[in-house]
Amino acid sequence: MSTAPGAATTVRSAGGRRPRLRRREATLLGAVAVALTFGWISLASSQAGRATIGDPTPLVIFFVLVGAAHLALTWWGRRTDQILLPAAALLMGLSLLLMTRLPQDTVVQAIGPLRLRLAELQLVWIALSLAAATLIAVGLRNDIWLRTYKYSWAAGGIVLLALVFLFGEETNGARLTLRLGPLAGQPSELLKIVLVVFVAAYLADDRALLAGRDTRLGPLRLPPLAYLLPLLAMWGIALAIVVVQRDLGAALLFYAVFLVLLWVATQRHRDLVLGLLLFVVGAVILDVLFPHVRERVAIWLDPFASAQGTGFQVVRGLFALGRGGVLGTGLGAGLPGVGGAPSIPAVHTDFIFDALGEELGLAGALAVLGVYLVIAERGLRIASAAGDDFRALLATGLTLVVVLQAAIIVAGNAKLIPLTGVTLPFVSYGGSSLLANGIVLGLLLALGEGRLGAPRAETLTRRERLGDAAHALGDRVERAIT
Amino acid sequence: MDALAVTLWILRLAFLAAIYLFLLLVVRALRRDLRVSVERADRPLGRLIVLSATGGTPAAGTAFPLAAANTLGRDINNSVVLDEDFVSARHAALSYRGRAWYVEDLGSTNGVWLNGGRIDTAAPLGWGDELQVGGVRLRLERQPSR
Amino acid sequence: MTTPLHGGPPRIAPALLRVGLALVVIYGAIGAGLAWWQVVEAERLTVDPGNPLIAGAEQGGRRGSIVDARGVVLVESVLGGDGTYRRSYPHPEAEPLLGYISPRFGSAGLERAYAAQLLGVADATGDTGLLRKFRSEPFMAQDVRLSLDLRLQKAAMVLLRGHRGAIVAIEPSTGRILALASSPSFDADRIVEPGTGDTYFAALLARPSEESALLDRATLGQYTPGSVLKMVTAVAGLGSGRVTAHTTFPDQPAEEDGGFLVNGYRVIDGHHAATGARALDLVGAVEVSCNIWFAHAGLDVGADQLLRWGAQLGFGDAIPFDVPTAASSLDGGDGFVDDVELANAAYGQGQTTATPLQMALVAATIANGGTLMRPHVVDSLVDAAGHVTAMTPEVWRRILDAGQARVLEEAMRQAVEGPLGRHFAGGAKVPGVPTAGKSGTAQLGGDSEPHGWFIGFAPAERPRIAIAVLIEHGGSSSASAVPMAGSLMATWLGLAP
Repeated sequence: MSTAPGAATTVRSAGGRRPRLRRREATLLGAVAVALTFGWISLASSQAGRATIGDPTPLVIFFVLVGAAHLALTWWGRRTDQILLPAAALLMGLSLLLMTRLPQDTVVQAIGPLRLRLAELQLVWIALSLAAATLIAVGLRNDIWLRTYKYSWAAGGIVLLALVFLFGEETNGARLTLRLGPLAGQPSELLKIVLVVFVAAYLADDRALLAGRDTRLGPLRLPPLAYLLPLLAMWGIALAIVVVQRDLGAALLFYAVFLVLLWVATQRHRDLVLGLLLFVVGAVILDVLFPHVRERVAIWLDPFASAQGTGFQVVRGLFALGRGGVLGTGLGAGLPGVGGAPSIPAVHTDFIFDALGEELGLAGALAVLGVYLVIAERGLRIASAAGDDFRALLATGLTLVVVLQAAIIVAGNAKLIPLTGVTLPFVSYGGSSLLANGIVLGLLLALGEGRLGAPRAETLTRRERLGDAAHALGDRVERAIT
Repeated sequence: MDALAVTLWILRLAFLAAIYLFLLLVVRALRRDLRVSVERADRPLGRLIVLSATGGTPAAGTAFPLAAANTLGRDINNSVVLDEDFVSARHAALSYRGRAWYVEDLGSTNGVWLNGGRIDTAAPLGWGDELQVGGVRLRLERQPSR
Repeated sequence: MTTPLHGGPPRIAPALLRVGLALVVIYGAIGAGLAWWQVVEAERLTVDPGNPLIAGAEQGGRRGSIVDARGVVLVESVLGGDGTYRRSYPHPEAEPLLGYISPRFGSAGLERAYAAQLLGVADATGDTGLLRKFRSEPFMAQDVRLSLDLRLQKAAMVLLRGHRGAIVAIEPSTGRILALASSPSFDADRIVEPGTGDTYFAALLARPSEESALLDRATLGQYTPGSVLKMVTAVAGLGSGRVTAHTTFPDQPAEEDGGFLVNGYRVIDGHHAATGARALDLVGAVEVSCNIWFAHAGLDVGADQLLRWGAQLGFGDAIPFDVPTAASSLDGGDGFVDDVELANAAYGQGQTTATPLQMALVAATIANGGTLMRPHVVDSLVDAAGHVTAMTPEVWRRILDAGQARVLEEAMRQAVEGPLGRHFAGGAKVPGVPTAGKSGTAQLGGDSEPHGWFIGFAPAERPRIAIAVLIEHGGSSSASAVPMAGSLMATWLGLAP
């Protein structure tokens, strides 16, 4: 992150239209382009049976899109992190390569006169995602509306969740999709962001004041009510998600992100222990009471026992990993299937990492994990350099949402934890997923901006007045509940 | 061994190598950033400039370097010692969290005033804000860059 | 705990560092997990019959054939009516050695053991060679060429028909297996055939275990060896030097009548031709199969030496072979409890068990001048491009020197051709060819018929075939195993190369 020596401080966030060269970003994007080009040629050659570049139109379009994002950031003189965009671009590029490699008829959608298939659709989603990220990164000047209206955010989130509970469609045994006419989306992806915003705002406000009295429950000393209630509420929501939506992945992610943010805010190990304990208790309850949970656990423990039945997907995924070995089979050469269909069902979403592991080998898989760790490092660095607690927590939460989700799905693919239906951020097929991750990227870039409304006494006072009003309202509500 | 197989192998390896080259470049950038922030961490976080004091001490223009947590007062054990009549032994605390400063009153006789208003709880302040501790007026300023 | 106000809420930055470290640990664990599947378990996964790679290769016909020493196809993939390839087993006589492979029932035998090579996933040594796929087709199927001779194998199965037992024929100078027959057996074609497979396989599984057709008795059947084990004691005796060709035991003739008392247990003998008051030497004892002599010899050799020389011959551990084998044992695995057990083991009773393959190796060692060659049934692998990977014969252990081996060879020759021996094992003699061997009737106690055994080789001077025959509950060996051995050895020697 380049920083110019501090000039005279100004009240309004600067970022005036003084274009700044983002050299490091340009270099890294160049490396990404080289890599993706090699990958494209490799894929095209493998598919054609001779050395060729095939039809590079999708790749070229992708380069143009990423280049446009980079130029926008340069033009509007953003001084933010220069590594996040290249990292995300590499992942999205890999996604494009993999979608090109898979049978195109996996997903077909008609949009107006066009009939788009898998890779083309993914390119559309990538475009939308990059657009969202760029818009937010360039346009977000002030985060008041994020932090002060936290209860509105929470309410909106609950409404979304309720909508999916009630009207959601089931795919693969999980009720995740909300359909509005021809459009279908997975609100849980956007919900993640809403949740993180709310939690960050809640925890950031009154940090000093909330660290008050512990709740006493008989001989137990629990965290203060202000922390305990949200913890229990989150736990309950997570359980509800598992029960009603059967979405183990989202529940796990929500709960984990919330727990980590809570701990970062309070740094009381007791809270963390309590949270983990609740997790174990919840997991046991779910396992005992709900057959679909038990089934997932059984498949996790020994997928080969039911290799022809429920364990099929996991076993096929593991076979794919094994076939990949260290260097992989090469793009286009893996996934032996019957009649052109790949050997793993849902390979474009849940098992995309297995396909990656097979075709790029352990070397490629570890590299991709490395990219997520890079995103983690940049995100956490943005958080630690943030102007205040809300931004720090928000950045942390957003980073975790991407990085923990990746960890959850990859660990599931590798049979380290039960398989869950979450997507691999930036890589899996899916409009909602890409869009949500694009928003996250944009927000992180915005937060990393050195000049995002540096908190100054005067502006704080003004902001405080606004905040105080909302605060008082919230407090009154809170007091009514607790 | 035929030409196509060799070509495909080279392409595959080039692809993997390029990805790792990217990671290498990133790691180099990360290390550079780490070094910068380590350097920055050694520098004082800010300073308090004395604007005026009744009785003349401390002298106007005196600069007190600030650490992450500081206490102001007359007692010699404070990190910012203000030897002035209206300053209590332990008068105020000034700490830096995230990138925001907070000042609070440690129960002084004459109170702590921020930009003209008396504070009663931990109050945030930014560069250029004025504090009054007893009879001493101070301003919070950045550490001048190298 | 109230946080003091002027300390403020704890700084976030150090907490973030810990979060970052936790993430590194998590990702490290995930990376290790991936490495587990992609490196450590990769081979096992790749050859798992459920792996679509394997199914795809088979359906595309890209699985190699198994052929015998003369190129006769024993197993191959044939194009079925529905356009997919199926495994075909035209010669069920070579089962259960060949095994089968079926998506429903898994795999067994050579089809299982050499799955990786047949598909071309691995080369001859089983090495999947992560970096070796410098071919456009990364998996090139290989044909497996066996040392088995189908003519001999068929002859062996004809002899075994109606019996439960096994025959192992081996080329002593190279260790190549010429025939490996086990009866009862099964028809693999009927297992892989979609229509009949289920019922046939279920019927096979439903058989009581002692009548199992799926068990390869030659390599996995463990039987009391009886008198054929005396050759092991003889090897131990000569090898350790505790016994020589001329060793006699003065009490032996008397003990023929009254029994040999070992710690209160009476070793009796009585089934051989009366040798009167003559004390037998090694050759004589082998010729008439004298339990008393061998009991003495076993005690003289001692538990340690007997086990040691037995281990040299392969006892105590599963014999390394192309398909799984069971371990043979001299002491039941727990050592010789007392001299009684030792004495009994020395003539093949007690807690001794042996597989037919193991006993064939004993014969092969003696036949090969005291040098045991590593047994193998796979001769070479040939891929579609014609590259041949040959398994060269390998010396496994040098056990006796030529002189000692010749003594034993002479003893065994007397056992078949000698004036007294031919009463028992004469049926094994190949007409016109000096033949050596040892018969054995293994008492099982109770009402069971004893097992009938024979081990031997021919021609005695320069053996071209060593053999072990076992007939379960065959009764007297001279009625069961011995004539089969003679017939088979004659067949082999009469066959055109």
